[in-house]
Amino acid sequence: MTTGLWTHDAFSGHVTPAGHPEQVARLTYAERALSANRYAGLARFQAPLADDAALLRCHPQSYIDRIVAAEPATGWRQLDEDTHMSPGSVEAARRAVGGAIAAVDAVMAGDVGNAFVAARPPGHHAERETPMGFCLFGTVAIAAKHALDHHGLSRVAVVDFDVHHGNGTQDLLWEEPRAVFFSSHQSPLWPGTGAESERGAHDTIFNIPLEPDSGGATMRAAYEGRVFPILSALKPELILISAGFDAHMADPLAQLRWQTEDFAWITGRLCDLAEEMCQGRVVSVLEGGYDLDALAASVAAHVDVLMERSA
Amino acid sequence: MTDRPVAELSFEEAMKELEGVVGQLERGDVALDESIRLYERGAELKKRCEAKLKEAEEKVAAITLDGDGQPAGLKTVEGL
Repeated sequence: MTTGLWTHDAFSGHVTPAGHPEQVARLTYAERALSANRYAGLARFQAPLADDAALLRCHPQSYIDRIVAAEPATGWRQLDEDTHMSPGSVEAARRAVGGAIAAVDAVMAGDVGNAFVAARPPGHHAERETPMGFCLFGTVAIAAKHALDHHGLSRVAVVDFDVHHGNGTQDLLWEEPRAVFFSSHQSPLWPGTGAESERGAHDTIFNIPLEPDSGGATMRAAYEGRVFPILSALKPELILISAGFDAHMADPLAQLRWQTEDFAWITGRLCDLAEEMCQGRVVSVLEGGYDLDALAASVAAHVDVLMERSA
Repeated sequence: MTDRPVAELSFEEAMKELEGVVGQLERGDVALDESIRLYERGAELKKRCEAKLKEAEEKVAAITLDGDGQPAGLKTVEGL
């Protein structure tokens, strides 16, 4: 089998104002990295549009309607301090969700061994009725709900290693007893949530705050001590990754000091666990990562490992 | 499961319950949220067992270290 890569030109149709860190160039850099010869073996797919039925797994119709109506005909509409919409934002956000769902379908069907969805806007800050932090729809949480409800799974794991707390995913999975959610993140840092005491309605949420200036060794110890033993015990049927690469030491928005090889390490360890428990089923979705070169190198390292493991 | 506070359990009780928890988790036939509860109970039980073992080891150490390299017989250790 191989690794599936979902992307779409429409992701570049979501345009943010000049100087905004969540910029079109992020995907340009990531895709350029993934155009090297060694990625010729990727099975490449166009991310389909997610319809309202898919979004309704996590958001009410009133919220979907509000986001659709907020899209400007020209220029930008600012939804909060950080979050903007341009013409094309709704299509991009729908295709991000559609790509993640299609990747889950393909991995569950055994068409690909694992998958990476190179999408934007990111999704893990979008709450049930609140767009936040560059995010409009809760892409990974929706994909998790799809895996549970459409594929009939009863044990799905979501691991979010973006440097910011996955407050949206936490909100959307708060009452979901069939999904376990792990978020490691720098603390203190925006959005300020993600304390260890936030456990969800069924104690299925695990937050792993990491101190500013801590590096890969701290992260590895935290995952070996507090994430992987629980994942092993729970035996999930699918692992979803919210793959933010902004814990990289070069990232301008945070102060963790991970290096490119740390992203390869965590990807490898999650693939190890997936191989032990669920035939290697891993679906990874791009979240943050704002230093363009570090993002490109880290995405490449992440996909290198996914490809090695699906071969 | 009784879910008595682990601090009340003897080593034997904690060990027996831990074996049951591990068995349930390995069978994987309980819901995910219940598996998490079991895992967390299991972690507490493991800690209890390790603490009781450490206590026992310290008692042994108190006996063997007593005297000038010569067995000094049994000495009552506080807490015994």
